[in-house]
Amino acid sequence: MTDEHSMTLDCSGLLCPLPVYKAGIALGRMGPGETLELICTDPGSLEDIPAMARQRGDDLLSASGDAARQVFVLRKGGGA
Amino acid sequence: MTATSTAPSATGLGSDRAVRRFEDVRELLPDAENPTPLVRVRRVVPPSAPPLYLKLEWLNPFGSIKDRTAAYLLADLEERGLLDGRELVEPSSGNTAIALAALAALAGTRLTVTIPDGVPEEKQILLRMLGAEVWPTPDDLCPVDNPKDGAIALARSLAASEGGRRYAMPDQYANPANVRAHYETTGPEIWRQTGGEVGTFVAGYGTCGTITGVARFLKEQDPSIRVVAVEPQPGHRLPGLKSFAEASVPEILDEGLIDDVVRVDDGPAYEMTTRLFREEGLMVGPSTGAIVHAAAGLDGRGPVVGVSPDGGTKYASYFAGLLGDEGLPTL
Repeated sequence: MTDEHSMTLDCSGLLCPLPVYKAGIALGRMGPGETLELICTDPGSLEDIPAMARQRGDDLLSASGDAARQVFVLRKGGGA
Repeated sequence: MTATSTAPSATGLGSDRAVRRFEDVRELLPDAENPTPLVRVRRVVPPSAPPLYLKLEWLNPFGSIKDRTAAYLLADLEERGLLDGRELVEPSSGNTAIALAALAALAGTRLTVTIPDGVPEEKQILLRMLGAEVWPTPDDLCPVDNPKDGAIALARSLAASEGGRRYAMPDQYANPANVRAHYETTGPEIWRQTGGEVGTFVAGYGTCGTITGVARFLKEQDPSIRVVAVEPQPGHRLPGLKSFAEASVPEILDEGLIDDVVRVDDGPAYEMTTRLFREEGLMVGPSTGAIVHAAAGLDGRGPVVGVSPDGGTKYASYFAGLLGDEGLPTL
């Protein structure tokens, strides 16, 4: 499903706040409306990624998975 | 040749401390026979105040007091067998990272630095020149449960990720080797350079390796020596110093060794930095300004010894903002 998104970032094996940091850099390099698929394996991401999206003004389009593996899709906000 | 010299080889002259010729830059790291200078400052101190001496740590080979820390941290990692093929990661406001980057380059090891908000561009460029990877990190990186010290959190997560196999973290905030560096070198140097007469020691709160290590050594020699910590205000712009109103207290700080804490605002710290340039000929960084501002206001037992952690050349962009058009041609 990767082709649907502007970019996929695999943060498997990385502990928080690394996925937040890397996703922030990726979104910072994207244009408004572009989407990022983010794969995480740290259960802390279930809280951190939605909080990061709110903080940055990006849209969390979907969040799925469980404590072992999570997939998020974020759309870069217009003002960031 | 002196006792400290090494024999000439086919490719070099050999080291000779007597004439200050060295085969390797690491031989310039300080020790009891090769201390950093202790220099009196007179013009910025009120006549009634006890004499004040500054330990000029920017004359270390990689430019700051952190040369000592970095050398001890790397030796500690090596002793623990953690340098075997691993890269290094460390949170740093610049000076530890610069010394680590230089030493890592000499050892053929890669370094990633997580660097907090507000570190001047000059330091970040020096790090990249030394081959380090620089990760600028906001203090409020963690959006949920850890709202401060983002650079420390990020470095620790890098060190723990990938099963801990890829990175080793010297961890200056928690590693007792940071304290030991100053207990074994900076403290004994000050004791020797003052002939055992130091009355007060002043250093900043940062990683707290300097103040804990030096204070422990000096108080073992003479428990009546007063130790004064300098702390900036929350939201300060004094790289290398930490306000514990907004940053975590490092594990290595031994608060029982601190007699007094002086809190310094940015304004007086930068004013004193400028005075040190213009009245003492000392091109120091802003943390020295904070330390001297605090030290110059102390009464009680002298001589006072203050630390000058680094030089001013790495803060040119900060100083440019202060100066405005001062020093430019007037019409």
